[in-house]
Amino acid sequence: MAHDRVPGDEERHTGSLVTNRVLLTLLVAALLGVVLLPFASMAPNRLMSGQAVGVTAAMLSWQWLALAGLAGILTACALSRPFPARLARWLTLTAAPLWLLLALYGLGDYASRALQDASPAARVSQGAAFWILVFCPILMIIDAFQRLGSSLAVRGLYSVVLVVLVGAMFAGDTFDALSIMREYANNKGTFTAEFLAHLRLVGLALGPALLMGLPLGLLARRHPTARGPLFGALNFFQTIPSIALFALLVAPLSALGEALPWLKAIGVGGIGAAPAVIALIMYSLLPVVRNTYAGFAGVPATTIEAARGMGMTSRQILWKIEVPLALPVILSGLRIVTVQAIGLTVVAALIGAGGLGAFIFQGLGQYAIDLVLLGAVPTIALAVVADFLLQILVALSKPAGMR
Amino acid sequence: MIELQGLTKIYGDKTVVDDVSLRVDSGEFGVLIGPSGCGKSTTLRMINRLIPASRGRILLGEDDITRLPVEQLRRRIGYAIQSIGLFPHWSVAKNIAVVPGLLKWPKSRIDERVDELMGLFHLDAGELRDKYPHQLSGGQAQRVGVARALAADPEVLLMDEPFGAVDPLTREVLQDELLRVHRHTRKTIIFVTHDMDEALKLASRIALLNAGRLVQYDRPIELLTRPANDFVRSFIGKADLGLKLLSRRWVHQYQQPATLRGASDESVRISGYAWEVDKEGRPVCLHGGRLHAEDTQERTGVTPEWSATPDMTMKEALSRMVWFRVMVLPVLDSEGRLVGEVTMHGVMGQQPCA
Ligand SMILES: Nc1ncnc2c1ncn2[C@@H]1O[C@H](COP(=O)(O)OP(=O)(O)OP(=O)(O)O)[C@@H](O)[C@H]1O
Ligand SMILES: [Mg+2]
Repeated sequence: MAHDRVPGDEERHTGSLVTNRVLLTLLVAALLGVVLLPFASMAPNRLMSGQAVGVTAAMLSWQWLALAGLAGILTACALSRPFPARLARWLTLTAAPLWLLLALYGLGDYASRALQDASPAARVSQGAAFWILVFCPILMIIDAFQRLGSSLAVRGLYSVVLVVLVGAMFAGDTFDALSIMREYANNKGTFTAEFLAHLRLVGLALGPALLMGLPLGLLARRHPTARGPLFGALNFFQTIPSIALFALLVAPLSALGEALPWLKAIGVGGIGAAPAVIALIMYSLLPVVRNTYAGFAGVPATTIEAARGMGMTSRQILWKIEVPLALPVILSGLRIVTVQAIGLTVVAALIGAGGLGAFIFQGLGQYAIDLVLLGAVPTIALAVVADFLLQILVALSKPAGMR
Repeated sequence: MIELQGLTKIYGDKTVVDDVSLRVDSGEFGVLIGPSGCGKSTTLRMINRLIPASRGRILLGEDDITRLPVEQLRRRIGYAIQSIGLFPHWSVAKNIAVVPGLLKWPKSRIDERVDELMGLFHLDAGELRDKYPHQLSGGQAQRVGVARALAADPEVLLMDEPFGAVDPLTREVLQDELLRVHRHTRKTIIFVTHDMDEALKLASRIALLNAGRLVQYDRPIELLTRPANDFVRSFIGKADLGLKLLSRRWVHQYQQPATLRGASDESVRISGYAWEVDKEGRPVCLHGGRLHAEDTQERTGVTPEWSATPDMTMKEALSRMVWFRVMVLPVLDSEGRLVGEVTMHGVMGQQPCA
């Protein structure tokens, strides 16, 4: 099973007891986090900082004992005995998600119990140890899949099941008592609107960025003289800090909006979506152009000479040879740009463009950390999902002969 | 037929191909040879107009190639390049089918043609049809590259060092296959190489280039026996000139014919060597003929290794005599009957008609 070995995978014939250092490190990190950091915090109201609550205090004893049991199994998985390597990995893929779900359930359960006989203003929030207990199993799962060398289909199916399970907990009443979900309940109407606004801003930026970036990338490939100035200009945009770029665009755009009333009518002005979208396009352009250029440049010259020698027209060479061979690189550019745009759109809320960033800046203004998280957590989730989907797309776009 | 007339290519102030005129008749196997950088590839690329000529013209049959629409011209000319240039995202079958596809042949005809070509180049269609280029060995990829160039039955085949990247053994096999295909299809071929042995083996005409100029254009034997100048002499190399010469000579030019009187003959004597022959006229063994005189009564059994055929090169025949340390070699026809013999003396003495 040669494909079974990946870097960092010290197999048993090395004679060492520890076969999976990554897993063991994560377990130690989780243990330290649980001992040293609060699992949750309880505050009299949403603005005051809370009192730390440890794992054993927050969870019922069966819950943290189960957690400890799972940690025991995972420790065994990291060692050379008693499980064979393959079994250990599948065991990890079973125990880690159980751990994740248990951590989520434990927090929600604690919140509802704690608030039963507290004042209505009291809030329960998640603590640092909770995040550690959530991220460690996710990293364990990613690591196990890496070591197994599983296909994308298997990984995808597994992720879908896990997402559905977690989604079901959100849809049910498990987390209703948590502060962040109370913030959600208070902002229910605006949350959906801001979420959609976020998606719309990303879409509005990516569409034009692709429409301009793809031809520009091809242009850079075809005309070496255009390459220098083009990349120079795009690199320059990339170095301007995002807030500065947003701010710089406010003045000229408001002047433009004043001068041309019809532009103002369709929403172009100093404040709002227009400067945000323009800035996002400028940031997205470089990765799109660069990857398009690199994709086309990666098509071997001899392949193109052969195609010409066979009597293909330039158009046939472009569509039948160059585009299919360049597509995986171009799509990985799209992946970079999408994740980047989802993140940058948060900042766009500062100039009134809306989006999930609105909650973050609102929450920062009010010192309401759970409101900040209401903006941040979905943004991160969105970025992770987009990244995963585009990764699948990149893999699918690789020609069958080169997968 | 392909004719180059005063063909010239100038890059900047450097003349890379300088006033080259030559003609490759229909069905001929022309080889361009010369040291690296002498303009062989450039010449080839001008023929299918991958690069424009600076001066001069090229005729394909009756037509000046610049008069033909460029894509149409290229589809009439098969092209195989040194680096093969297979399309990595297409299967072997689809790679071979490129030009027929461009010419919009019906699918059934394309499929038939692909199978036919794969058969011609000893590529197992069942196994390799749906493989991708990166799954092929170097030799298989070279064959696919040549098969692709032949796919649409082009009038002319241009090949730029098509066997450059394989080991000597595979190379020899591929050369034999190409020769067989050439005999079979009678295509006009222009083949680039910088290997003199390859040129001597394949060519019916060799064009020797140096620094963009055509130094000599002749049949291989003329090139060997009547080199135009010192450059030709030094390019051919002095070391094994005799062997090179023999590599262009055939056993049937040297053999002493045997006359079998009747089916009952048991012993045949051609030029002092006694052959024992069976009822069908197949030689069984030779009496004497060994290198050392005291072995005169020694019998040498005839085997496939120790025998020659009329279309074998004399170089090979000589090699077999030397290896078995016998002064003579029986020449067998396709049925295995004795038709004559070649001798060590014959190799040395006789100057056969070319
Ligand atoms: N596009 C170009 N611009 C300038 N010079 C070129 C160009 N292409 C080829 N040359 C020059 O033309 C000369 C002949 O090149 P060519 O490729 O025809 O050589 P060749 O005989 O095929 O050599 P080799 O056996 O190494 O393949 C070389 O000196 C090369 O440097
Ligand atoms: Mg060359």
